[in-house]
Amino acid sequence: MTTPTLRVATDVGGTFTDLVCFETDAETGQSRITTAKSDTTPPNFEQGVLNVLKKGGVNAADIGFIAHGTTVVINALTERKGVKVGLITTEGFRDTLEIARGNRPDFFNLHYQKPAPFVPRHLRRELPGRMSYKGEEATPLDLSGLAGILEDFQSEGVEAIAICFLHSYANTAHEVATLHAVKAAWPDVAVVSSHQITREWREYERSNTTVLSAYVQPAAERYLNRLDTGLREQGFTGRPYIMQSNCGVDSLSAVARTPITMVESGPASGFWGAAELGKLIGEPNVLALDIGGTTAKCSLIENGQVRIMTDYWIERDAKSAGYPIMVPVVDLVEIGNGGGSIAWVDDFGKLHVGPQSAGALPGPAAYGKGGTKATTTDANLWLGRINRDYFCGGDLAADMAACEAALKAVGDKLGVSVDDAARGIVRIANNNMVNALKLVSLNRGFDPRDFTLIAFGGGGAMHAVALAQELGVKKVVVPAAASVFSAWGMMMSDLRRDYFVTQLADVSTGSADLIESVFASAEDSAASQFIDEGIERNQVQFTRYGKFRYQNQEHTTEVELSGPVTDANLAEIAARFHDTYEREYTYRLDAPVEMVGIHLVATAAVGKLEMQARDTTTTDASTAIKSERDIDYALEGCHTAQCFDGDKLEPGMTLTGPAIVEDAGTTIVIHPGDAVSVDGYGNLHIVLAGAAQ
Amino acid sequence: MASAPHDPITLQVIHASLQAAATEMFAVLRRTAMSPIIYEVLDAGTAITTARGELVCSGAGIPTFVGALDKAVAHLASSHADTTLPGDVFITNDPSYGGVTHLNDVVIAEPIHIDGVVIAWAASVAHWSDIGGLTAGSMAVDAREIFQEGLRLPAVKLIDAGTPIQGVFDIVRANSRQPDTTLGDLWAQIAAGRRAAKRITAVAKAYGLDAWQMALDAAFDADESRARTGLATLPQGRYSLSAVQDDQSTWTVHVHIKSDRFTVDLRDGPDQIDSPYNTSRDSATIAAQMLFKALCDPTRHASAGSFRPLEILTRPGSLFDPTETAPHGFYFETRIRLLDLLWQCLAPALPNALPAGHFGTIGATVIAGKHPDTGRRSTLVEPQMGGWGATHERDGQSALFSTNHGDTFNCPAEITEARHGIDVRWRQLSAKACGPGLHHGGRGLDTCYAARAPVTVAVGFSRNREPVWGTQGGGAGDCNTVTLTRTSGDTEQVAFASGLELNAGDSIRVETASGGGWGKPAD
Repeated sequence: MTTPTLRVATDVGGTFTDLVCFETDAETGQSRITTAKSDTTPPNFEQGVLNVLKKGGVNAADIGFIAHGTTVVINALTERKGVKVGLITTEGFRDTLEIARGNRPDFFNLHYQKPAPFVPRHLRRELPGRMSYKGEEATPLDLSGLAGILEDFQSEGVEAIAICFLHSYANTAHEVATLHAVKAAWPDVAVVSSHQITREWREYERSNTTVLSAYVQPAAERYLNRLDTGLREQGFTGRPYIMQSNCGVDSLSAVARTPITMVESGPASGFWGAAELGKLIGEPNVLALDIGGTTAKCSLIENGQVRIMTDYWIERDAKSAGYPIMVPVVDLVEIGNGGGSIAWVDDFGKLHVGPQSAGALPGPAAYGKGGTKATTTDANLWLGRINRDYFCGGDLAADMAACEAALKAVGDKLGVSVDDAARGIVRIANNNMVNALKLVSLNRGFDPRDFTLIAFGGGGAMHAVALAQELGVKKVVVPAAASVFSAWGMMMSDLRRDYFVTQLADVSTGSADLIESVFASAEDSAASQFIDEGIERNQVQFTRYGKFRYQNQEHTTEVELSGPVTDANLAEIAARFHDTYEREYTYRLDAPVEMVGIHLVATAAVGKLEMQARDTTTTDASTAIKSERDIDYALEGCHTAQCFDGDKLEPGMTLTGPAIVEDAGTTIVIHPGDAVSVDGYGNLHIVLAGAAQ
Repeated sequence: MASAPHDPITLQVIHASLQAAATEMFAVLRRTAMSPIIYEVLDAGTAITTARGELVCSGAGIPTFVGALDKAVAHLASSHADTTLPGDVFITNDPSYGGVTHLNDVVIAEPIHIDGVVIAWAASVAHWSDIGGLTAGSMAVDAREIFQEGLRLPAVKLIDAGTPIQGVFDIVRANSRQPDTTLGDLWAQIAAGRRAAKRITAVAKAYGLDAWQMALDAAFDADESRARTGLATLPQGRYSLSAVQDDQSTWTVHVHIKSDRFTVDLRDGPDQIDSPYNTSRDSATIAAQMLFKALCDPTRHASAGSFRPLEILTRPGSLFDPTETAPHGFYFETRIRLLDLLWQCLAPALPNALPAGHFGTIGATVIAGKHPDTGRRSTLVEPQMGGWGATHERDGQSALFSTNHGDTFNCPAEITEARHGIDVRWRQLSAKACGPGLHHGGRGLDTCYAARAPVTVAVGFSRNREPVWGTQGGGAGDCNTVTLTRTSGDTEQVAFASGLELNAGDSIRVETASGGGWGKPAD
């Protein structure tokens, strides 16, 4: 029997389940990529995965590594398709979930409505018992009322239980005792306690996170376990890995316990791909931009490191407070601006793009499926940026009449021509995206001019150069096979777990032992979790971050630490904090520094894809030219551009803008004067005009 | 035409970039501030104005600061006209010098120059925890003149062409009981202003001053047009209301709605008093602006154009337009009562646009003392959440911050206990009855704070005697109550108090009012 060599990424989306399979030639190191697509099969999502493997001709016995991403969790939350949850919490605090943070983001509106809690009041129950913030027991836990609570939950049809007590981040004993008691009394029920998900303070955020995890737990657990069984029955002998929101993968059993950690796994794989690609091509500082059908997402990667945070929210916007989810999520900004975003003119003559999207049906007007509203895609098509003779990779004939009618409706409201309406839509969409990119760069104290923009997703390459011009970015990289880039990112992931633990400590002589002990104990518990999964401690890499602030501040600044924390190196740690703080906020204070908690990253390699550069060609890029067309660059006027077939571009080829590079999934718009080269992996490097040297 | 420099899309992009700058400025302030009242309660605001102080856009977390900074800058622009230099920064906090509210709210403003001309100001305001005066926290209920409320900073220069004026910093430091926190907050505001100045300069240079001016004019006109469109939907007429207040005095307001003008006439209001409940004319104007905005264009965005159809009439020497030496410490309770009164005045005529009354207080709760575990001084300052009134469509909301707060976050009990060394025994929805009606009012909040070591407490709660109003036949909600319980078992009810001494084990229980009902109850 040969060693299984296939590397497979599967992704369960709302409509389709996708497969990307990488087959590496043992001799040349070259990868061959196969893709397949089949319907998503709710509620038995595992079936869709098994179907798509079959459709793609992948024999499970040949799979050496399989990573699985899913939107099942986020969809169950936004569509309210989870189970009935009961919450057990500290006496006097059952309403924490409903009080929430009390904020009214839409502050002039006297009709503001709070987001409704996921657990109604009669299913929020209390137990006596209290820990202090230092983790000392102030009142012992009294479980005598638990039997009655569980009886009520059963008669109410509760299917999952969340447990969250005050200060459990500092001492988990009461939660652990209650968890065991629930499992003993009601073995079949899905149950999760807050400390299993996070060890950070803020009771509302922790309670809500625990509740949302319980809400999706039965469905997630069921389908992940069936997926495991199904793969095994077909001969797969390894361990499937599940994509996480922190850009790593995790074991199936760990994810089934706290499925909420998958909530943003989709975007995470793309951003991880950008970080890995950056390292591969020697561009460790990356602005990553993913433009899809309904949204654009961006994230900043500094020195090859993605930034992981725990203040993630769903359904939060200018009109609603939303719901917090306190799990490690890649730091990203998402705006409602994708290819399908609808352009509209308000009653006061202002043009807007998004956040409403035309979706897949009816889709942009040019799909000819009954859409009458102009979208970003329609504007790009009208301006010649998208090829009207090769629309959707040639799968669809562009309905230019419908496109024109939709754009004309926008133009009429603005009092401008169809051309100007299309230019306006592209400019407003670009401005929205520029502001999102500023939020992840300038707002965090980073100068975008020091970063390379990596653009992917269906629409990334169409807008990337214009955005880079506006931000002063010198170089844009469009990855080879940009449309399956997220799957590639999944292939490049490590087994990764992020541990956040709240622990207040002064950064002054005498406190190093305390700080070191928090890291050491987090590392020990992480290592034992890895050992349970057959990974030895010496294979696990730890990266330590401290979360620091000036005493009395609230928000923290994360600083990477190297080596053990000792009293001798506290001053150096403080100095690094002062520097990081000043870079972000322009000033520093002569004030005491305190640590609020730690962030420990534990990673273990689980066999990444090894990339091999191909030899460069001496053939001229002109052999890839397939046509010529007029392109309207909005701010730079109209130019006749050569159109290159992306599939025919070879390593070493170079070309100059104005130009278009297109393949079935991506259109790359290259502006006048930009210099383009193809690297050994097939990625396009676009150096912007005027940015030489 | 579209690619000409002054096309409508360019103007829109300029304005959107300025809004992004104001928002970014607010984010910087929030992330760097030292006082929880700034970074959690968001008792702070940022704005970009024109050279004359017209509001262009704001990054405020609460609505009452949206219209505060334009007034401050207008004062600075007129008192320092044409003498400012690039890199200058000014400071003011006095209601008679553009400070608008009370001495705790300190405004930091920076003029932005292009080619020797001021094109804009970036300004921020933040509530400082202590600025001297009679009592810790600077808000004494027994202040009789503004001189007892702390340091007055009458629109003076703080940084001269980039060089800090050390003397002013020293004066600020010497006049605060929490000098480190105060200077931290001051620098946070300066950093926020610098950030905005950088962005604004970049935008103005990129597009040129002609396009800049056109963009601002277009934005003002659009906002005015929004406001006028909303105004046209309101029933025209003269509306008046006199209502008895907790102290049994009667306040009278008039509102005159015409097709092109919305006039709030406060000239029949009460005389100013020698206690800290006066609110400046600028501040009373903000109450009127909030109601006007809620009725005509309830989006978060506002500019000078948004308020062009609004007119406010006040009488010098009144509670809503006091003279220079009047104390203002608790001005915010007067202003929220004024907004509540204007709202109640119009509610009968606007049954769908206006809900029944809400709990109607900021509910300022201040607990100061030494942390029993660290020995460090700490001050808890928080507003309270309460019940909101029912609307024509639904029951009222429970446990929400007041009209005068906005994207304000409560402090988690876990953080209160750790940071301040105070126990939070419970925090739950209040069991008090809600205003009855076809739709009933929302529930108030019931919180019990217990001292672990000696602390000093100050509170300010309106609606402590006169209950929350219902509308369209709906019943009244109830009142806000604050109960102090000693370890001996003795209890005491308070509403406005400062300097209350609590010992370990003593507790203070805050129960905010439920909201009013809407419509006659169904049988």
